[in-house]
Amino acid sequence: MRTLLENNFDRERSLSDLLNNIDQKKLHGSLSSLLGEDMRLVSGRGELIFGGEAVASGSMPISLCGEFEPIGYIQGMQVDAKARSEACISLLELLLCSAKQYYMVSDLHVEATHADYERLLQKNAALLESEARYKALAENLELRVAEQVKTIENAQRQLYQAEKMASVGQLAAGVAHEINNPIGFISSNLNTAKSYVEKLKAFIDLFKAVQGGETLLAEWNNNNMDFVMEDFSELLRESAAGTERVGRIVADLRGFSNIDGADEEQADINHCIRLACNVAAGNVKGHAEIKLELGDVPSVHCQPGRLSQVFLNMLLNASQSIVEYGVIKIQTSVEEGMVLIRISDNGAGIPEDVLPRIFDPFFTTKEVGQGTGLGLSVSHDIIKSHGGRIKVASKQGLGTTFTIYLPAGV
Amino acid sequence: MAEFDEQQNKLTIKLVYYGPAQSGKTTNIMYLHNYLQPELKGEIMVLETQNDRTLFFDLLPLGFKTATGLLVKFKLFTVPGQVAHDGTRKALLSRADGVVFVADSQCSQGTNNAEAFENLADNAGRVGLNFETLPLVVQFNKRDLPNIFTEAAVRERWQATKWPLLFSSATLGDGVCETFNALLAQVYVSMDRQYALQAKYSLDQVAFIHAVLGNALAGAAL
Repeated sequence: MRTLLENNFDRERSLSDLLNNIDQKKLHGSLSSLLGEDMRLVSGRGELIFGGEAVASGSMPISLCGEFEPIGYIQGMQVDAKARSEACISLLELLLCSAKQYYMVSDLHVEATHADYERLLQKNAALLESEARYKALAENLELRVAEQVKTIENAQRQLYQAEKMASVGQLAAGVAHEINNPIGFISSNLNTAKSYVEKLKAFIDLFKAVQGGETLLAEWNNNNMDFVMEDFSELLRESAAGTERVGRIVADLRGFSNIDGADEEQADINHCIRLACNVAAGNVKGHAEIKLELGDVPSVHCQPGRLSQVFLNMLLNASQSIVEYGVIKIQTSVEEGMVLIRISDNGAGIPEDVLPRIFDPFFTTKEVGQGTGLGLSVSHDIIKSHGGRIKVASKQGLGTTFTIYLPAGV
Repeated sequence: MAEFDEQQNKLTIKLVYYGPAQSGKTTNIMYLHNYLQPELKGEIMVLETQNDRTLFFDLLPLGFKTATGLLVKFKLFTVPGQVAHDGTRKALLSRADGVVFVADSQCSQGTNNAEAFENLADNAGRVGLNFETLPLVVQFNKRDLPNIFTEAAVRERWQATKWPLLFSSATLGDGVCETFNALLAQVYVSMDRQYALQAKYSLDQVAFIHAVLGNALAGAAL
């Protein structure tokens, strides 16, 4: 408590404290000449502040009033010089009062300044803190906005893709429906026609065996009717095969556009690849040979329609990159628990400066109107949404290899 | 926190006149200086700028000695009311043993009073005083001026609080001693609790107040 109080601006100050900044020699001189003889000043406790050693301590001490109590004494004054002594005391008291005021004010000023400074420091700290908070918020905001933009872009792409898929699906469903009916009666009719031909053949054999039918037989042979009958059967068989193929294409189209299947299912990746190859066949034919090296891979929990779309994209890109006639190789295998699909071509390859951007949305190297710039970007999204990843390696003039990793099983 | 010097048998009590700018804090202690005749009265120290504004503080030392030899010393301080001098106000308020809040009765000063009182409460907290137990008196000064809040309005406003409410015209001297009296009554209780004034020094509340106020409040009830 003492130490605390010692620093108070209004603490009691001793005589020597108050006279600290005053030229004591000068003061002593002035007082002595005012009194007309040597004097000395002692503190309330009797300690010498200044003045002559020789002054008799026995001579009449006069007290110097502090606030209430004597703060010190002047020794060496003569009893008969009362007026001068009083003047002396008065002067000293005025001096001390002024010194006290000065010390109090300066100490208070220091205290107040310190308090203000402390407050400023606190305010500054609070401001810094809030600044940091806002800064973090701002940074966060930018990040959040970027995230939102990304989400919106993604959604946009997905929507674009979904609409595309929907229109393909609708078209496929419509075509499938329209084609399935005629295919149905064509194939049924063809079967009936086949049995009719067999019946006809049996009758012809009978006619051939009948006596007296030489002219008829000659005419038969003249018209090469045996070949006609044989070819007739063959034509019907081929037509039936053709109808079956049309039926299969329609089924593939339906499977590809995923209009039948549930959204997610366990699917055979190899099957998806074959489906994509069938759909792409028309485009690839004449550009490249497709070589399938499909390994024994586990089924993948996926949206098969979407994966087929990816494979189709890859195949079409590969085929477009081939200048004259090339090979597109599709391999599947299992690597570190992932199903790996590698699609490589020996086409033109991708220029180095373009390579880092190929998965960017709306980036395309094709002529305006030729490509949407969404193929690889959407493929990338689809693979990512399946928990997989896609890698590309390319060398200009040698070809490109896309490697897709998909998590196996559920 | 009063300062008790056992060696010199001296108790120093710090009282502070707080309030908005120009509400009459200095006028209060000037009047006390001129009017009171306690056993011991020091020189008043007034530190005003040219336009009557307290820059640092005013100080009036008062005191008395009990028959048992205890020197009781009062230091009456005023604070600068201007908002800018908050650091000074805080330093002056620290270790105060009692406060008179001098409010300006003029209708135009309502906001200033409220802000100054809030500032008093805030600063009391900052310098470690318990505002709930701190002896405090509220004085509405300048009752002699026109356009002032009515007594009824002020009472209604303050009746919910536990602090004594007084009305004064410090320039005329009305209510100044009454205010000081009300403060001393509270301060005595607090000092007696801390330093056992009654038990150790046979100093009771009446004697305590009388030693400072003398007959200034002749006939006034405590």
